[in-house]
Amino acid sequence: MNVDAVSDIFRRVLENAEVSADSDFFVMGGDSLLATRVLSAIARACGVELDFDDFADAPTPGALAKKIASMA
Amino acid sequence: MSVVVVGAGLAGLTAAADLAARGVEVTVLEARDRVGGRTHGIEVAPGSWVDAGAAYLGDRHTALTALMAELDLKTTPTTMTGASRFALGDDQDGHRTRAGRFPPLSAVALGEMFDALDELTRGLRVDAPWLSADAAALDTRTAAEWAREHLRHPDARLFFPLFLGEMMAADPQDVSVLHMAFYLRSGGGVRYLNAFAGGAQEDRIAGGAHQLCQRLAAGLGGRVRLGEPVRAIRQDDDGVTVVTATGSLRARAAVVAVPPSLADAIDYRPGLPAPRSTGRTAPGCAVKVHLVYPAPVWREHGLSGWSVNARGPLLSTVDDSPQDGAVGVLTGFVTGREAHRFAALPVGEQRERAVAQAARLFPGLPRPIGFHATDWVNEDYSRGCYAALFGPGDWLRLGPRLVTPHRRVHWAGTETSTEFFGLMEGAIRSGRRVAAEIVTTYGAEIVTTHGWRDNHV
Ligand SMILES: Cc1cc2nc3c(=O)[nH]c(=O)nc-3n(C[C@H](O)[C@H](O)[C@H](O)COP(=O)(O)OP(=O)(O)OC[C@H]3O[C@@H](n4cnc5c(N)ncnc54)[C@H](O)[C@@H]3O)c2cc1C
Repeated sequence: MNVDAVSDIFRRVLENAEVSADSDFFVMGGDSLLATRVLSAIARACGVELDFDDFADAPTPGALAKKIASMA
Repeated sequence: MSVVVVGAGLAGLTAAADLAARGVEVTVLEARDRVGGRTHGIEVAPGSWVDAGAAYLGDRHTALTALMAELDLKTTPTTMTGASRFALGDDQDGHRTRAGRFPPLSAVALGEMFDALDELTRGLRVDAPWLSADAAALDTRTAAEWAREHLRHPDARLFFPLFLGEMMAADPQDVSVLHMAFYLRSGGGVRYLNAFAGGAQEDRIAGGAHQLCQRLAAGLGGRVRLGEPVRAIRQDDDGVTVVTATGSLRARAAVVAVPPSLADAIDYRPGLPAPRSTGRTAPGCAVKVHLVYPAPVWREHGLSGWSVNARGPLLSTVDDSPQDGAVGVLTGFVTGREAHRFAALPVGEQRERAVAQAARLFPGLPRPIGFHATDWVNEDYSRGCYAALFGPGDWLRLGPRLVTPHRRVHWAGTETSTEFFGLMEGAIRSGRRVAAEIVTTYGAEIVTTHGWRDNHV
């Protein structure tokens, strides 16, 4: 999954179009409940199941895409 | 007398205060020897109060916030700092400490659960759930059946009942899918309802939520009569006769502001065309436990006081210490089936179990200096908390008549509000709505009439 695809998921879940590769999910109003919905969307799209701590470590589309790539 | 209001909870008192402010003669009849209904304060240390009933609010609770401003009440934030404790494993002692509030469960599984709930609530007509596209299908099944079909991952199956218990004090077997979806939407959506910061648990009322009703009642003065359970309401072309255990009152109209099953316990002549509840309408089940310590000791260990537990009695705990720091208060929620089990125990055993569980959760806790368990399950004049739970078939049957007056008898109470149903906000909105309804329906008739008979004296 590339950065753009992860950014799209952020946009949908946050209902906010202003997401870039280095937007921090939690700064943009995301919380842990919404984070789970990003993670379920990623799992559906590419089969990689991240846990909450992975997301907390990498809360931007750029960092998350790297993490996914390292695990796929 | 112009209007008799039955029930001195938030809904009844809001309605009465609105009517009195418009020059309507009003009397409130309350069964208990106190006002407040499902809001109730306990003084845990001199001048320090905790909420045995409703406690939390958020910024979308605009009617409540406005009422607080009128009554000169302030909020106090529920800010949580520190780590959470979780006991979600099969082994009783598998406690885990984690930063933040996220449980040590599969985030993907929980995400799928919230996706499914989101999809369920999206198609719903929240103002009239019985008219939703899939209403009939959603109303025949229970939330437990829905979970068996839609939740595959064991973590989601473990978490779902805890989530529903926390959100609506419901056991999944007791509510229809339609009611669950309605309730979640009505309260602002899963995320808003679940959140402390930025959500429905952002604040508490400084000094206790019970002050809302106490101040409303103080403003109404002698218009509020305690210890007056209403047994019957008779009506004819000119008005109503409201019969209590000790006498009766004649008025132009009545407002019944009590939970649905208690509204049904009143004898109406002529009878209601349809009941306000059914055999499937379940009481929400909650026992709220307060453990009082000399200080919030858990904070010294970097813990917030928040915990979520698969085994009872305390399915979750939260730090509700008064702001003045006089004592440390750990509030425990016992909900669903667990509430029935717990409520049946003798007080000594309730105390032992709660204290032992708190000690396992929060190391280094001293013995508590106070223990209070408020059992809402067996309260004769609440029958269900946080609110009534609509079971299979209820919304289709009861929904269309939720606010339809029975001639001169009008309805209020949080269970009549499709906005913020089950919450203080819903109760207040229902009170405002019914007061406006009364004024529109009876107009000048009620502001000028003085003919009334009172058998009390
Ligand atoms: C443990 C618990 C936690 C809660 N937490 C929250 C929360 O955090 N935030 C929130 O917003 N809401 C919460 N709620 C819900 C909230 O308390 C209710 O939605 C609200 O208080 C209901 O107000 P009401 O006026 O509709 O009904 P009630 O408060 O039930 O008032 C009805 C009144 O009618 C009286 N009555 C009943 N029958 C008769 C009769 N026949 N004759 C005369 N009087 C009668 C009753 O004694 C009562 O005083 C909680 C509830 C409980 C129990």
